[in-house]
Amino acid sequence: MSELDLRSFPIRRRGNAFEEFTIGRRFEHHWGRTITAGDNAAFTTVTHAYNPLYLNAEQARAEGHPDVVVNPMLVLCTVVGLSVEDLSEGGGPFLGIDDLTFHRPVHPGDTLTASSTVVEARDSASRPNTGIVTWHTEAHNQRSELVLDYRRTNLVAKRS
Amino acid sequence: MTWFEDFVVGDRWRHARGTTVGEVESQLLTKLVLNTAQAHFNEHAMTGSPMGDGRLVFGLVTGSIVIGLATQDTAEHAVAEVGLTDVRFTSPVHLGDTLYALTEVLAVEEAGPDAGQVRFRHWGINQQDQVVFEGVRTVLVKRRPV
Repeated sequence: MSELDLRSFPIRRRGNAFEEFTIGRRFEHHWGRTITAGDNAAFTTVTHAYNPLYLNAEQARAEGHPDVVVNPMLVLCTVVGLSVEDLSEGGGPFLGIDDLTFHRPVHPGDTLTASSTVVEARDSASRPNTGIVTWHTEAHNQRSELVLDYRRTNLVAKRS
Repeated sequence: MTWFEDFVVGDRWRHARGTTVGEVESQLLTKLVLNTAQAHFNEHAMTGSPMGDGRLVFGLVTGSIVIGLATQDTAEHAVAEVGLTDVRFTSPVHLGDTLYALTEVLAVEEAGPDAGQVRFRHWGINQQDQVVFEGVRTVLVKRRPV
């Protein structure tokens, strides 16, 4: 028996490199997330998002909602969060988001799932070990209704 | 005031409050939304990083704080957030940085008897006045009740 060397254990790596992002490839992202009233209250108060629809259930009901409305920025952050391991955990800065539409409100208890398709992948002119990738991401609720879609662009590290 | 009729194209504001991005803003929100990238929560791994020493703030935490800081002045009477575009993260934000929000009204458009759409450009800046975030946001806003 050799001595136990904890530093010799191989790392279980996560994330994908630029070479994985062939145009048209689709990723069904892991887990899903049921948004709770607590998630919404924490996110909304920490970000100072003082829209009463997110904070006051009586006012939200008076305007036709079944409960408070989940802050759409929490919906967006959650959908991007669900996609990080597949799309951007491999490394490289987040460049931007375009053409985002909030298609319908989300309420506490709704469950979000997300998927993304590679729409553009090209070499970076300034950084030889990096590419620029754009994905189209869609998020649905538990009734398979489209909640959100957008295009996201990142710098992505190449394998070597 | 913040009813649809109050927004005039070309209006510009710096919003009253800034916020320092601490552990609650950065780690809590990053983990709450299942962002698994450890650049946002592993100080040890980020020591000596080419992006600058220390943990980076998730771009959409920055974006959510900037839009949040602008919400009382832009969406206190909103019906719904409609969309976002041209969102750019122009400089890294590190744990401990302070964010401020600025807004310009780009367009107003009638949308029926009760509400109208307002398009805003937002900028987020840090404590050194560097732009760290910009984006264009469309909101459906109620008309002033008669």
